[in-house]
Amino acid sequence: MMAGRELAYTTRRFSFAAAHRYHVEGWSAEENRRAFGELGGVHGHNYTLDVTIRGPIDPETGMVIDLGGLKRIVGETVVERFDHADLNADPLFRGRVPTTENLAIVTWELLAPKLGVDRLWQIRVWEDPTLYVDYRGV
Amino acid sequence: MVEVTRVYHFSAAHRLANPALPVERNVALYGDCHRPHGHNYYLEVTVAGRPDPVTGMAVDLARLDDAVNGSVVAEVDHRALEEVPALRGVITTGESLARAVWRILVPALPAESLRRVAVVETAKNRFEYEGGEG
Repeated sequence: MMAGRELAYTTRRFSFAAAHRYHVEGWSAEENRRAFGELGGVHGHNYTLDVTIRGPIDPETGMVIDLGGLKRIVGETVVERFDHADLNADPLFRGRVPTTENLAIVTWELLAPKLGVDRLWQIRVWEDPTLYVDYRGV
Repeated sequence: MVEVTRVYHFSAAHRLANPALPVERNVALYGDCHRPHGHNYYLEVTVAGRPDPVTGMAVDLARLDDAVNGSVVAEVDHRALEEVPALRGVITTGESLARAVWRILVPALPAESLRRVAVVETAKNRFEYEGGEG
């Protein structure tokens, strides 16, 4: 067995509270109401974010990733950006409805350059305890 | 492609038994689970799709909710699973329930969209079925 080549998965959980509304600019109020119903009004969620890193276990440290470093990167890149914020006002959601699906994709796009696409395995965004979306970059 | 998972809940009674086997064999096979008992079940249904470029939605959640609530939750909630017509012939283990729910949901959802059915029987027991032959 080659030491340090075995892949393992490490997941760290984060949370942030944010406001959003489902709304397509360029659609009439009636079209928006028909497509999104009550989701068209500004409301918010306590989001939970699970970031999963996949990689070999470092033979020296015994770790896939330094959790302190992961916490700092996700904190600075995602949590500080979205916590107590209006997602619709974020430039990342200009012309992009801040659904849970798109929030998972945007979070991946923010983190992949910092963590590496070879290490970032999955983004899971929980909108509430009954709904979550997974995105793995493809 | 994103995977959207919705969590549903129901409470039901069941007992594990293979009606083709004698009682002693069922007792030996299933132990305490051969006695009628019940669980607060959680049912997780995962569907895959690409977010629509305009609406940002990959899944019609209302349609998913209607399908799961109508075809599964309404049938099993506060019932004995062995008496549910849609589960006739199913030994109601978690894995068999997951497979049964998969088979109920496939025709009710957009083609090829269902990815996984998970039955969470207790905080300690979780069962997943993803279709296919392995």
